[in-house]
Amino acid sequence: MTVTSPPSQFTALPGGGIAHGSYADVPYEDKLALWEEVKADARFPDYMYGCYECGICVAACPSARFYDFSPRKIAQAAAREDVELVFEQMNDDVWNCSQCFSCNRCPRQNSPGGLITLLREVAVRNGLTTAKDALEGYGRVVYKIMTTGTQISPDMLQPDAFPDWGPDVEKTSDNLELWRRALPPETLHTTEMSWQVSDETLIELYLIWLHSDVMDMIEQADEGLHMIILDVMEETLEDAGYEV
Amino acid sequence: MTTTDNTFIPLSEIRKPPVPDPAKAPTEDIREQLFALEDAGELIVQRVPEPYIEVMTKYGRTKKIPEQMTWHHKSCGQCGHIPGYSTSIFWLNRQFGMSYMDPTDQTSCTAWNYYASATSNAVAQAGVASRNFAAAYATGYFPMIHCGTSYGHYKETRHEIVHHEELRHKVRDIMGKLNKPLVMPEEIVHYSEWIHAMRDRIAERQVRDFSSITASIHPACHYYKLVTEDAIYDPDIYGGQRTATVTGIVESLGSTVGDYSTFFDCCGFGFRHILVQRDFSRSFATQRKIEVMKEEANPDVVITHDTGCVTTLDKSQFAAKAHQRNVGVPVLSDAQFAALAMGAHPYRIAQLHWHATDYTALLEKMGIDWEAAWAEFEVDLGRLERGEIEYLSWEDADA
Amino acid sequence: MPSNRVVVIGAGPTGLEAARLAAELGSPVTLIEKKDVPGGMPIHADYAALTHHFRDASEAMAEMIDAVTSNDLIDIRTGTEVTAVDGEAGAFTVGLAANGSSESVDAGAIILATGFQHFDPGRETQQYQYYELPDVVTIADAEKMIKSGSFVTPSTGKTPERVAFIQCVGSRDRQIGNEYCSKVCCGISSKQAIEIRQMVPDARVFIFYIDMRMYGYWENEIYWPAQEEHKVNYIKGIITEILPKGGRLVVRGEDTTMGRPMEVEMDVVILAVGMEPSEGTTAMSGILNLPTNKYGFVETAHDILDTVTTTVPGIFAAGAAVGPADLDDSIASAGAAAAKAVSLIRSAGVPV
Repeated sequence: MTVTSPPSQFTALPGGGIAHGSYADVPYEDKLALWEEVKADARFPDYMYGCYECGICVAACPSARFYDFSPRKIAQAAAREDVELVFEQMNDDVWNCSQCFSCNRCPRQNSPGGLITLLREVAVRNGLTTAKDALEGYGRVVYKIMTTGTQISPDMLQPDAFPDWGPDVEKTSDNLELWRRALPPETLHTTEMSWQVSDETLIELYLIWLHSDVMDMIEQADEGLHMIILDVMEETLEDAGYEV
Repeated sequence: MTTTDNTFIPLSEIRKPPVPDPAKAPTEDIREQLFALEDAGELIVQRVPEPYIEVMTKYGRTKKIPEQMTWHHKSCGQCGHIPGYSTSIFWLNRQFGMSYMDPTDQTSCTAWNYYASATSNAVAQAGVASRNFAAAYATGYFPMIHCGTSYGHYKETRHEIVHHEELRHKVRDIMGKLNKPLVMPEEIVHYSEWIHAMRDRIAERQVRDFSSITASIHPACHYYKLVTEDAIYDPDIYGGQRTATVTGIVESLGSTVGDYSTFFDCCGFGFRHILVQRDFSRSFATQRKIEVMKEEANPDVVITHDTGCVTTLDKSQFAAKAHQRNVGVPVLSDAQFAALAMGAHPYRIAQLHWHATDYTALLEKMGIDWEAAWAEFEVDLGRLERGEIEYLSWEDADA
Repeated sequence: MPSNRVVVIGAGPTGLEAARLAAELGSPVTLIEKKDVPGGMPIHADYAALTHHFRDASEAMAEMIDAVTSNDLIDIRTGTEVTAVDGEAGAFTVGLAANGSSESVDAGAIILATGFQHFDPGRETQQYQYYELPDVVTIADAEKMIKSGSFVTPSTGKTPERVAFIQCVGSRDRQIGNEYCSKVCCGISSKQAIEIRQMVPDARVFIFYIDMRMYGYWENEIYWPAQEEHKVNYIKGIITEILPKGGRLVVRGEDTTMGRPMEVEMDVVILAVGMEPSEGTTAMSGILNLPTNKYGFVETAHDILDTVTTTVPGIFAAGAAVGPADLDDSIASAGAAAAKAVSLIRSAGVPV
C-alpha cells in the first residue's frame, strides 16, 4: 500500500496562501498522476528508502557544483512525497543530472540518480514541454541509436557540431574515410555506425523497440522523429517479411 | 601502538588492511541467484570458459576473468571517435594469442542514450542486454565488455532481471519472439579487468621503459559506483580502499601513480551534457580534474578505462587551453598504455591521431620517435589512398 | 550438577559489575576473561576519560577491578576461554581452556558480557582512506593519543591546527549492513573535541554530523559546553571523502544547513567508528546456542521489559553483547543480569 500526502504544507506563504511553485497552471491531480507513475516503476523501491539529509550525495555530485541542483533535495522531495516539488524538479532539475551515479554511495542506499532516471522517463512518456525542450538538438542521437544500434558514428565528428574541440575535429572529418580504412579491426571500416552491425541484428533490435513501448515514448517526445524512425524500421522489417 | 612520547609510528605502517571476508559481504552474491533461476528453468547462465584468472572484488568474493574465448562487446564512443582504444584491446588479445570474436551481431547497450534522454525503459534496456548476451552465448564465446557504462548498466539490468519477475517474463517473451533464450553470463566482465588480471604477463612482455612516466588515474564512475561489489579491489593497492583496476596495470608497468584530490570526481561526461550541454562537461573536466592533476601531481598522462572519460577529459582541454588555463595532459586508456608498453605502433594500433591533447612529449618519454612513426603511418595512408590495399591489416600494423 | 555458582564471561565493565553484584548477593562467581588482564575495552583500547563524566578510565577501571579481586567469593580466570557449555539452568558445566590445559566448572547461571569491537573503517562506504592516510584516525586511536597526553598530527608529530570528527562511521548505514545507531559516538567525539581543545588550544575542531544524539544529561554536560565554552564547531553534513592534498587532508561534504558543497583542509580527521559485536560475542553466542539478531548481537527474550534474559534458561546477557550500549547502560544491565542470575539459583532451591 502506498500513502500519498495531500498538497504540501511546506510551501505555505506568509499571508496564509499556498504556493504552487512555478507550475500553478498544472492541476494537482495531473502532478499526482505523474508521481504515481514514478512510484509504480518496479525499480522505485530499490532507489528510494528514506533520507536523513547527510549530504553525502551532494558532495559527490558533479552537477551540484555547476548547477543549482541537489540530489539530496531530489531524495527529500521523493521521501516526503511532495507532489508539487517533485513536479517542479521533474521539469526544472532532472536534466541537469550527470547520471554518473556518484550519489549511489548514499548510506541509506537511495539512488538519487536512479530516481532521476525514473522522473525523466515519466516526463518523456507524458510529453512534458520541458522534456521536449531537453531533447531538442538531441534527436539525431536518438535516431542514430535506434536505427543503427550504435549511439554515435564517426561521421558525426563535424567541426560545426564540436566547435570547442579544436581543429582536430576538422582534420578527422576531412580524413574520415581514409582513417577508418587504416583501422585493423574489420568491424570498424564504417563511417556511419560505430561498428558494423549486421542486418539480422538490426531487425532483432527493431523488434525489441516495437515490443517494449519505446516507440510510444518517442512519439510523445517528438512526433517528427517518431515518424522518421518508424519509416526506417518498417521498411527494413517489411523487407525481411515482418508485418508491422 | 605505543604513545609514550611524541614519536609516532606512521599509522599506515601498523594498520594492515584487512582482506575482506566474503561470508560477511553486505550484499547478496548475485551469481547464486542466477544459478537458482537457472535451476528453476527461468534462464540460462553462460559459464566463464576455462582457463580463467581469479581476482578479488570489493567484498572479498572471487570473480572469474576469462583469458580467452571472449566475445568483444564493443563501445559506441570508442569505436566511433577514439578507435585506437578498441584496436589496442584487440591487439593485446592477439599478442597473447588469445582467441576472441569481434562480432557484428552486437548492438550498443543503448545506455548512453538512456542516461542522456530517457527515451527508453527498463524492459527495452533489459531486452537489448539479453539480445546481446544471447548472441554471445550462441557463439560459445563469453562477453567481454569494452564500455564502462555498458558494464555498469548490464549489472543493473541483471539485478532487475533477477529480482523483478514481471520484467523478467516480459523480456523472456520478447526474446521468444526473436527465437532466442534468456541468457545471463556468470560474470559481467569489463576489458580493464582482463588487463588487470593479465598485468604481470603484460609487464613481462614490456619492451618500452615507462619508469620515468607519472600517470594520474581516473577511475570510471560506471565501473565502480554502479553495483560496486563487482569491481576489483586489492589490499595491496590503495590499502584496498579504492578500486585496483587501472592503477594495477600502471604500477605493473613501472610508472609512478600521481595522486590528486579529486580522484573520485566524475569526468564531466554527463551523457547528455557531452552532446548538448557541453559547457558543463568542459568546465568540469578541466577545472575539477585536469587542472587539479596538473597542480598536485603534474602527470605526463591521464589513464582511464572508459569511453566517455577519455573523450571528455581529452577533448575538453582545447577550449580551456585557449583561455590559458593550466591544462595540457594527454589522456589514454589503460589498453592503449599497455599496448604501447608492449611495443604497439602509436598510430597503426594506438591510433593517437584521433586524440586531441598533445601527446608527443609523452611519446618521447616512452622512447618513441613519433615523427618517424607518423611517417610510417603516412606511407600506410598513401597505400590506402592509392588503392594498393583496401584496409590496413593486422599484419600491416605489426610490420 | 546443581550449583550456586555464577559464571560471568568477559571481564570488561559489564562483567566486572555483574561479578561484583552476584558475589555481593552471596553467590560464588567465576569470572572468565580471554585476555591476560581484566578491564575490557577501556583498558585494552587505552581509553582516556570516560564518557560522560570525564572520569579517568584507568582509575575507574581500577576501582571496578579492585572490587572484584578483593572479594573472596570471586575467582578471576584471565587468559582463559570458554570452550563448551553443557547442562541446564541451575546445573551447567562450563568447559574452560587456559595455557593448553582444560578443566570445567559447575554453574547455576551464566552471564554473557563479551561486549563489542570498534567498526573497521576499511569497510566504510565513503572514501575515508583509513588504510592509506596516517592522519585519518578513529576515535579509538584518538583516545590513545589523548591518554598519552600529546595530541599531534600522526604523520609529522606536529601540533594540528585543524581537526575534524566525522560521525556515524559504520553506523546508520544500510550499505554496510549496520542500520543501527551506535549510541555513544556523538558523546565520545564531543568529549574528545573538548579534550583536544584543552590540549591544543589553538586548534580549530569541527564535528560533521547527521544528527547529534546527545540524550539526557549528555546535552548539558557535553554538547552545550563543547559548543559554548570550548568553541567546537558543529556542522550538519557528513563527509563524503578525504583525500591528501599538499601534505594536508581535503575533506569534502555538504554543509546541509547552508545547502552547499564544501571542501575544507584538515590536519587530522577522526572517524567516529561505531560498535559491532566482538569476536567473543560471536564465538560465545555460538557455543551457548544464543540467537543473535541480523547484526550478530545477542537477542534477549523480552527485549523491552527484560533486557538481559536470553532464550536459553539460566543464561543472561548484558552490556554491549546485546547491542550498542554506553557505560551507564552496561552497568545497569550488568546489575539486572546479576540479580536475575542469583534469583534463578535461589528459586531452583540451591542454597546461596
